[in-house]
Amino acid sequence: MARFHDLTVTDIQKTIRDAVVVTLKPETAEAGAFDFTQGQYLTFRHDFDGEELRRSYSICAGKDDGVLQVGIKRVDGGAFSTWANEDLKVGDTLQAMSPMGTFHTPLDPGAARQYLGFAGGSGITPVLSILKTVLAREPKSAFTLVYANKGVNTIMFREELEDLKNLYMGRLNIIHVLETDAQEIDLFTGLVTEEKCGELFRHWIDIEAVDTAFICGPEPMMLGIAAALRAHGLEDGQIKFELFASAQPGRLKRRVVSKDAADSANQTAAAITLDGATQTVTMGKDSTILDAALQNAMDAPYACKAGVCSTCRCRVLEGEVEMVANHALEDYEVEKGYVLSCQSYPLTDRVVVDYDQ
Amino acid sequence: MSEEMRIEDYLAKGGVLSNPANVPPRYRAELLKLMASFVDSELAGAAGFADIINQGPGIKERIAAARIVLEKTDHADRVLRIMGEFGADTARYANHHPWTARLARDADIGATRGEHDMRLAVFNYPLTGWADAVMMNLLMGRAVGVQMADFALVSYQPLAEAFRAIAPVEARHAELAEEGVARLIAAGETETLTDSLSYWWPRVAASFGQMSSPKTESLKAMGLRHASNAELKARWEAEAGQVLGRLGLSAPA
Repeated sequence: MARFHDLTVTDIQKTIRDAVVVTLKPETAEAGAFDFTQGQYLTFRHDFDGEELRRSYSICAGKDDGVLQVGIKRVDGGAFSTWANEDLKVGDTLQAMSPMGTFHTPLDPGAARQYLGFAGGSGITPVLSILKTVLAREPKSAFTLVYANKGVNTIMFREELEDLKNLYMGRLNIIHVLETDAQEIDLFTGLVTEEKCGELFRHWIDIEAVDTAFICGPEPMMLGIAAALRAHGLEDGQIKFELFASAQPGRLKRRVVSKDAADSANQTAAAITLDGATQTVTMGKDSTILDAALQNAMDAPYACKAGVCSTCRCRVLEGEVEMVANHALEDYEVEKGYVLSCQSYPLTDRVVVDYDQ
Repeated sequence: MSEEMRIEDYLAKGGVLSNPANVPPRYRAELLKLMASFVDSELAGAAGFADIINQGPGIKERIAAARIVLEKTDHADRVLRIMGEFGADTARYANHHPWTARLARDADIGATRGEHDMRLAVFNYPLTGWADAVMMNLLMGRAVGVQMADFALVSYQPLAEAFRAIAPVEARHAELAEEGVARLIAAGETETLTDSLSYWWPRVAASFGQMSSPKTESLKAMGLRHASNAELKARWEAEAGQVLGRLGLSAPA
């Protein structure tokens, strides 16, 4: 189960107008819980007006930087990122889980590998962690970074990357691709698409020598790059992805508890939504929501039927249910109305549940 | 970057997801189901095989069987850990169900799963002895190989990576079974093996599910499946048929 630890904010730096780099220090006794692998992310939680939000941000520090740092870019309408950019101060306490994620490959000090990284906008954060770490720990390896941004003034870590280029002369190659700002070379203007990659692989990047590619950016960019890499002979095992979708769920509305929840016998009318279709079924109050759905030929998801695995999770939008066992959902999910349908019995005469939320 | 794309479209175009934070709810459910099915099958398979270890005719056979039990349990652990990142209580999960439980040998459940776990139907049947276990392991090992090839392409990257690591070890289990069958044939056990073959062949075949499943299309759109049940089953029939041919046996008609 998820466990959160306290971290103290020791520094906040603006890297561009709407992004900050936050340095964090774990409690001394818990430092081991934050021994990260390059490319991993931290999941934070914070309470906004009584509602808990969780957001994941990649660690941008390298293994040898001696600090724990994440980059947080403000997203329009994003409660957490706006708060981190505008209100967070040095000395504040943040709560985060131990680092997670598999966006990395094992290091080998004796290896002479060719890495290729693609980053779009704030997707640079885990890629920066990886490139700093491999350049420091694999002295014979080289890294090429293709870094896509809107314009010059939205490039996160621009100066730090220049410094790294000087530090690792000849081993770090950076190609900036800018969507709107014109550059000397036409190829470096526009979006990083499959075609653009094809052209880069013709003249600028020796794709046949590449051992591993890392991609972190928005969905269409990742698809285009992955297609180009596969077309040039890379296997799936050589391509590592990290997607922090713009689609991280937004703020959720509270569930409605209907007023006319008077008792009428032991029957409940349950409106169950699954795969976009809603079916209203009459069920006994001694039956679980999951069983009611299954008995009515709905292909509701489940696995353990013991409240352990969370496969059957759904959201109660109206009415009330009693969840008799819960070993998988956390308090903040329960507060938002999520229940394990295999353990949930209706209490009100009408309930509305949704498996699609 | 100003490009916007719905996550469903991203998946339908072959996109890959990498952590629990950005999986849509229905994807989450189907992914957990897929993982639970794998974990339950491995745990039930290992538990059933554990009882057979001591029936191995020699030390080498017992080592092979013990190794299979160890490695299948390890594979369950690897995938269960990924379920844990979605909130599953991994310690409780491993013990919430008696994995050794089996139905009667002549129960006829087709492809139906049990009420309380997601193991493939075939793992609900009991093994009758060493030769029976080796034959079951040979046929199921080949089925796992076919399924693994599809699983390795799954759109949830941490799981795809786990399956890529698991696949060669599972392939080795099928090879051990083939060596085991060869030894049993040399020892004159062909008749027992043929009986087991006709018992397990249709049951392993049924583990590929219904031949026209409306579910497959939606799973394909999410990148959780690539081939259809019928395609996977046909692949298994061809591959298992070849192995049996090498051993001088043939698949039941």
